[in-house]
Amino acid sequence: MINNYHMKRFKTKYIAALGITLMLGACNKQLDLKPYQQIEQSQAIKTATDVQITLVGAYNRAGLSDLYGGGVFVYADLLATQQITDFQGTFQGLTQMTKQAIPNTDGFVNSVWADGYAVINQANNVLANLKLVNAADAARTEGEAKFLRGLVYFDLVRLFGRSYNDGDPAVNLGVPIVLTPTTVVNSAAQVSRATVSQVYAQAISDLTTAESKLPAAASGDFFANKASAAAILARLYLQKGDYTKAAIEADNVIKTGVFQLNSDYSDEFPYPGQVHVDNTDEDVFALQVTNQQGTNAFNTYYASSDNAGRGDIIIKQEFLDSFEPDDTRIGMYNEDSGGTLYTNKFDNVYGNAHVVRLAELYLIRAEANFRLGTAKGDTPANDLNKIRERAGLPDNNTPTLANILAERVHELAFEGGFFLHDAKRTKAKVNGLDYSSPRLVFPIPLREINANPKLVQNPGY
Amino acid sequence: MKKTLLTLFLLLSCASIVFAQNKVITGKVTDQKDGSPLPGVSVTVKGSPSIGGQTTISGTYSITVPATAKTLVFKYIGYKEANVTISGATADVQLESDPKQLSEVVVVGYGTQKRSSLTGSIATVTAKEIEGTPVTSIEQAIQGKAAGVFIQSNNGKLGQGIKISVRGTSSVSAGTQPLVVVDGIIINSTDISSTSAATDPLADINFNDVESVQILKDAAASAIYGARASNGVILITTKKGKAGTAKINFSAQYGNSKPSRHRKFLNTKQFLQIEERAGVGAATQDYLNQDPNDPIYGSLQEALDDYKGIVERRFTRLSAGSTNWTANDVDWEKQAYQNAPQQQYDLNLSGGSDKTTYFISGQALDQKGLVIGNAFKRYSGRLNLTTKMSTNFEVGMNVSFVHTFNDRLGNDNLFSTPMQIVALSPITPVIDPRTGLISGTPPGQSSNYPLYYNPLISIGNAYFHTNVYRTLGNVFAQWQILKKLSFRSEFGIDQTNQNEDSYYGSLTARDTGTPNGSGENSNTSVVQFTVNNYFTYKDVFAHDHTLDVTAGSSYQYYHFMFNDIQGMQFPSDAYKQIASAAVKSGGSSQQAEYSFVSYFARANYAFKGKYLLSLSARDDASSRFGTNNRYGFFPAGSVGWILSEESFLKDVTYLSNLKLKASYGLTGNADIGNYASLGLFSGDAGYNGLAGQRFFQIANPNLKWERTAQVDVGVDFGFFNNRLSGSFEYYRKNTRDLLLQVNIPQTLGIGSQTQNLGKLYNQGFELELSSDNLVGKFKWTTSFNAAYNKNVVTYLNGQVLGTNDLNRVIEGQQIGVFYGREFAGADPANGDALYYLNTKNSDGTVNRGKTNDFNAASDVVLGNPTPKYTGGITNTFNFKGFDLSFTWQGAFGNKIYNGGGQYMSSNASNGYDNQTLDQLNYWNKPGDITNVPEPRLFYANGTNASSRYLSDGSYVRLKTLTFGYTIPKLLLSKLGIDRARLFMNAYNLVLITKYKGWDPEVNADYQATNINLGVDFYSAPQPRTIVFGVNIGL
Repeated sequence: MINNYHMKRFKTKYIAALGITLMLGACNKQLDLKPYQQIEQSQAIKTATDVQITLVGAYNRAGLSDLYGGGVFVYADLLATQQITDFQGTFQGLTQMTKQAIPNTDGFVNSVWADGYAVINQANNVLANLKLVNAADAARTEGEAKFLRGLVYFDLVRLFGRSYNDGDPAVNLGVPIVLTPTTVVNSAAQVSRATVSQVYAQAISDLTTAESKLPAAASGDFFANKASAAAILARLYLQKGDYTKAAIEADNVIKTGVFQLNSDYSDEFPYPGQVHVDNTDEDVFALQVTNQQGTNAFNTYYASSDNAGRGDIIIKQEFLDSFEPDDTRIGMYNEDSGGTLYTNKFDNVYGNAHVVRLAELYLIRAEANFRLGTAKGDTPANDLNKIRERAGLPDNNTPTLANILAERVHELAFEGGFFLHDAKRTKAKVNGLDYSSPRLVFPIPLREINANPKLVQNPGY
Repeated sequence: MKKTLLTLFLLLSCASIVFAQNKVITGKVTDQKDGSPLPGVSVTVKGSPSIGGQTTISGTYSITVPATAKTLVFKYIGYKEANVTISGATADVQLESDPKQLSEVVVVGYGTQKRSSLTGSIATVTAKEIEGTPVTSIEQAIQGKAAGVFIQSNNGKLGQGIKISVRGTSSVSAGTQPLVVVDGIIINSTDISSTSAATDPLADINFNDVESVQILKDAAASAIYGARASNGVILITTKKGKAGTAKINFSAQYGNSKPSRHRKFLNTKQFLQIEERAGVGAATQDYLNQDPNDPIYGSLQEALDDYKGIVERRFTRLSAGSTNWTANDVDWEKQAYQNAPQQQYDLNLSGGSDKTTYFISGQALDQKGLVIGNAFKRYSGRLNLTTKMSTNFEVGMNVSFVHTFNDRLGNDNLFSTPMQIVALSPITPVIDPRTGLISGTPPGQSSNYPLYYNPLISIGNAYFHTNVYRTLGNVFAQWQILKKLSFRSEFGIDQTNQNEDSYYGSLTARDTGTPNGSGENSNTSVVQFTVNNYFTYKDVFAHDHTLDVTAGSSYQYYHFMFNDIQGMQFPSDAYKQIASAAVKSGGSSQQAEYSFVSYFARANYAFKGKYLLSLSARDDASSRFGTNNRYGFFPAGSVGWILSEESFLKDVTYLSNLKLKASYGLTGNADIGNYASLGLFSGDAGYNGLAGQRFFQIANPNLKWERTAQVDVGVDFGFFNNRLSGSFEYYRKNTRDLLLQVNIPQTLGIGSQTQNLGKLYNQGFELELSSDNLVGKFKWTTSFNAAYNKNVVTYLNGQVLGTNDLNRVIEGQQIGVFYGREFAGADPANGDALYYLNTKNSDGTVNRGKTNDFNAASDVVLGNPTPKYTGGITNTFNFKGFDLSFTWQGAFGNKIYNGGGQYMSSNASNGYDNQTLDQLNYWNKPGDITNVPEPRLFYANGTNASSRYLSDGSYVRLKTLTFGYTIPKLLLSKLGIDRARLFMNAYNLVLITKYKGWDPEVNADYQATNINLGVDFYSAPQPRTIVFGVNIGL
C-alpha cells in the first residue's frame, strides 16, 4: 500500500517534469526561419514588377566601380598612358597595369570579369522571364537587358581577348558566352571561351536587337534607349574595322536630334558641388551616380583628394603640351591645392560615370566616312569641326586621319579607355609595346581557371 | 533503532559531553590566504576518524578526544589536509587552499563530475590563475595556461578580435571558435562589430567573477554539445557564495602600457638617399625600355635629369615646401603611441546561510590603449544567488550587467589608423611651419601633404565610440524528485545592445573624401535565449556499480537586429550627430535569426571505482541547414581504467594515480551563415533612386553540418602523493563534409557556394605536468603544458582557396598555408627582383632557375601561418608573505607575412613611403649580392607578394608576472582588516623572437579569417603592461 502510494507520487512528478521537456516538441516549426533582407530565388521573379526590378538590378551591377562605374575604362587606359600620366597610387594591381605586367592574380582584373558576368546573369534572368512582362513593356525590357549584356560582352572581349584585327578572330579566344540565368551549379557551369568573333557576334546580336526593340531616345533618359544601343554599336564596329556600319550607327544617334553638344566643353563635366547631376544633353548613355547608389571610379583614381579622389593618376605636362594653343579643353587640367596636375573631368564624386557621349559619335562618323571616302550624314570635315569649334579651335577643312585621331585624344582623353583601344585598332605602339603584345591583354583570372578547368589562359600568363 | 542511537551518540559527542578519560580541544580554523574563518571543516583524531567534529560558522570548534590522542587531522574540500600535534587545550589552524583539489569537481556539459572519474579530455584554469591579469578579456588571461588551447589577439588595440583554437582549426569556411557556455547557458560569442575589424564579445565578461574555466577538448567531453562542439567548448563558471560570515573583498590596481616592440625606419639622411637612388633606377628603366622609334628621352642623362627634378620637387613638397630637406628628422612611429595608463577596481561581497548563498560583485576598469586614440572601459555588476525553498527544491539566478565602452580606431588598412603613420616621411615636420598646425591640417596644405593623410589629425577631430550594454544571466530551479533523481530547468538570456557612434570632422576630409564632416550611428541588438531541461539520476547499486545518467532537451533561439544611419554635410564640427547632417547619405536595417532544438543524454558508469565507461549523445536540429538534412546525431563513448586502484599497484607507494583513458565520438560544426542553404535574391540593387533586386546566393538544399570524428587516448598520472602529476594525450580529429565556400565559375554571376565539400584532420599530442617542487615554508610549484598539432587539408576536390596575398587552402597542406612565388633576391647583374621558377621539368624535377618575370614563376608552399608547437610554463613561489608567479608562453614553427612589406620594405619601388631600415642594403651596382633589389621609383621591383615578406614567427614571451606581499595579520587586525596584499602584475614583460616586425602575435584585423592567418599589416603591437595594486579583505 505504501509502496503503491510512493509509486503514484513518483509518477505524478515524473510526468510533470517530462511534460515540461516535451513542450519543446512544439518548437520544431521554429526551425523554418526565413531571411529578412533577402527572398528566396524561387519567389524572386513571379510578376511583371519582379522582372523590372531585376532589370534595375542589372544597371546596379553595371554601375559597380570595376565596371561602368569607371574601372573598365580606367584600367584600359592605365595600360596605355604611361607617356602622359604618372601613376602614383598605392594599389599594386594598378601600378602593375601601368607597367604592363599584370599578375594573373590581379584583383581588379578579376572584378571586371566577375562583375561583368553578374550583369550578364541579371540580364539573363530578365530575358528568361520576358513572358511575365506586360505586352507594352516587353520590347523595351528585352532591349534594355540585351543592351547591357551586349555592352558587357563587347568590353570583356576587348580586354580579355586579342584585338579583332590581330590575327584570326575566329581562332583567337574571347570569353565564355552564357545566355541563361543561373539556378544550379553543375558541370554545365564550366563554359569554355568562345572565339573573339563569336563574342563580337553575340554583342552585335544583342545590341542590334536592343536598337530595334528599345524606344527612341528622349531628353532626360537615363535608362538605355535606341540611341544608346546605336552608339555602342558604332563604337563596336569602329573597333572591329567595319566602317560602313560604324558610320551608319553613329549617324543613327546624331540624326535623332535629341542630343546636343554642350556649348562649353566643361559643361559636360558639371561640378556644382558633391551632388548628383542629371545627364547633359550630350550624354548618350551614362551610369547614374548619386549619394545613394553607384560609384564614380573615374573620380576615385583621377580626381585630387581635394575632390574626394585618391589622386592616383597625375597628368604630365607633356600631355598638355600636345594641345593646340587655343584649345579650351586644356581648362579641364589644373593643379590642385597641392600643386599637382590633375584632370578636372571627374571632380564630382557624385557625377555620372560617362559611357558614351555625342562628341564621340561625331568623331566616329568622321573617321568612318574618312576611311570610306563617304559622307554618311555629313562630311568628315564638318563633323570634326563641330568638335573643334566647341573647343575654340579654328576649322580644319582638310583633315587627315591623323587629325581625326588626334582630335579623339584631346576630346575623349581618359573617358573610355580609348588610349588602349584606339591604339589596338590602329595598330599603334603602346608605350613601346606592339599593339598585339600579349601584355596588353588581361589575364584570365587564375581563380577562374582553378574553378573552371575548361578555360585556357592567355599567352604570357 | 540501533542506528538512530548511534547517530544520537555521535551528535552528543559533537556537543562535547565530557567523559573523564577524555580531554577537550578548542580552536579556530581559518583560511591561510585571507584569514577568514572556515566553517564545516572536519576535525578528527588521527587514526580514529570517527572521533571528531566540525567547525562552526565562525570557524571555531570544540571537540572531545581521548587523552591518548596525539594528532588532529583537519580536512576541508578545496584545501590541503593539515595534521596538527596536540599540545595543550587549544589548536588554531590555518588551512592552505589546494588548487588541485579545487579542480576535483569538474564542470561538464549539463552537470559536474569528479575529476578522478573523468574519461574525457578537459583542461581547467582556475580563478587564481587569472585574477588581476592586466588585460581586457578572459581569453588573454588564460593564454598559455591550457594545453592545446592556442589563443592569439589580432593586434594590440583594446577589445579587438581574438582567435581561440582548441586542438587546431577544424574548418575552412565555417566558424572555428569554440562554443562558449557561461553557467550552463550558451552565450553569443560571435563578433558584432559593424566594421571589418572584429571586436571581442567576451570582453563583456568580468573575468574576476570567474571561478573556473573548463575547456572541453575531446568528443567524450564535448559531444553533448553536438552540432556545435567540433571546435571545442569553453565552460565558464562564475563564483558562488559560500555559507559562512559575509566576506568583502576589494582590490585596486593602476599601471601603464607601452608597445612591446618597435620597428626601425629610415631617418632623413637615409630616406633622401634611397629615394634619390630610386629616381636613378626608374630613369634608367624608362630610358632602356622606351620605344626606340618614338623615344621620350634622347639620352640617359635626360631621363636622369627628369627624374632628379621629379624626386627633388617631391622632397620639397614633403618638407613642407622647404628646400632644406634635412631640416627635420622625425621618427613618426613614436607619434603613433600615447601614454597608456590603466586602472581597475573590484569589489566583491559573498556569504550566506545554509539555505541561501550570494555572490555580489562590481568592477570598474579603465584602460587606455598604447596607440593614440584607443581606450576601453568596463563597468560590470553581478549577482549570483541560490536559495533552498525546501529540502528538495532549490532556485537561483546568476545575472550580470555590463557596460563596456570602446574608443575604437580604424582598421589596420586605413590611412587613419595610427600605425600607418610610419609611412610618412622623416623629412616631414610634425607641425607644418607654414600654418603652425599639425602637418596636413586644413586650411594648410592637405591634399598631397604629407605623403598620406596624417592620422594625428584624427585625434580630436574624429571618433568611433562603441558602447555595449549586455545582460547575461539565467534563472534555474532544481528539484530533487527522489533521492537519486533530480530535475533541473534553466532559462538563460544573453542580451546585447551595442551602439556604434562615429564622426569624422571637416579637417579629416582627405581621409573621408567628404569636406564637411561625415558621421555614422548604428545600433545592434542581439537577443539569445535558451531553455534547458534535464534529469540527473545517480545511483550506486550492488556496492560496486556507480551510475550517473543525465538526459534532457535544449531549445535556443537567436535574434539579431541592426540599424544604421550615415550622414554628411554638417553645419560645423560642433555638430556631430546625424540629426544635423544635411545629407543622410545612407541607412540600413537588418535582422537575422537562427534556432536549435536539441535532445541530449549521457551515462557514466563505474565499476569498483576503477573501470569507467561513459556514453553520450545529442540530437541537434538547426534552422541553418537545408531542408533535406535538418537533424544530426552526435554520439560519443569513452572508457577509463584507474590502474592505481588495482591491487597489483596499490602497494607502489610512489604512485598515487594512474589512469588510462580512451574516447571516440562525433561532433559537428554548424557555424555558417544563417541562411546558407537557400538560393536568394537581395533587394539592395537600386539604381538612380529606383529600387532593384539582384541574384545574391545560390541554393544548396542538401547543406548539412560538418562532422568531426575524434579519437583521444590518454594517461593521467600522479606520483609521490600527487606532488608530481600530469597527463599525456594523443588525439586525431577527422573532419569531413566541410562547410566550404567553394569557388565556382564567376560566369555564373556569383563567385561561391556553400557546399559540404572537403576533408581535413588535426592530430596532436598534449602534455600537462604539475609539480610541487618545494613544500614547507618556501613553496615552489611548476605547471607546464605543451601541445603539438598538425593540421592537414586532405581533400578539396583539387581547389585552391584564398583571397589575400599568400594564405591559401590546398590539399595536403595546413589551412591558410603561405603559398606563392619564392623570392630569389636581386639579380647581381642588374638589380632586378628575381623569383625561383619552381616549374616542373619534363623529367618531373623542379626547375630552380630564376626569373625576373613574376608571372613565369610558379606558386609553391612557403610556410605555415599556425604554430606547430605551443605551450606555457608557470612557476609559483611562496615564502612567508611573498608570492611570485610567472608564466612563459610560446609558439613555434610558424611564419608571419608582412602585408605592408610591399610599401614599407619595397626598396623604394612603390612610391615614397618611408622604408624599413633593412632596405638600405639595396642593390646599387652590378656585382652586388643582396636580397633587396634596385630601388626604382614606382617600378614595383620585387614588391609583389612573395616569400620576400615572410619571416619566422616563433616566439617566447613572459606573458604574465605577479609579485605580491601579504601583510601579516598582526599588523592589520587593529585596522579591522582581515587580509591585505600588495602586488605588481606585469603582462608581456619580455619577448624573445626573431621576428623583425612589431609583434609576432598578430593577424591584421581587417582581413582576419579562418584562412587569412599570420598577416601583419601596420598592426599595433601587443602592450607591455605593468600595474601595481592592493587587495583588501574584510
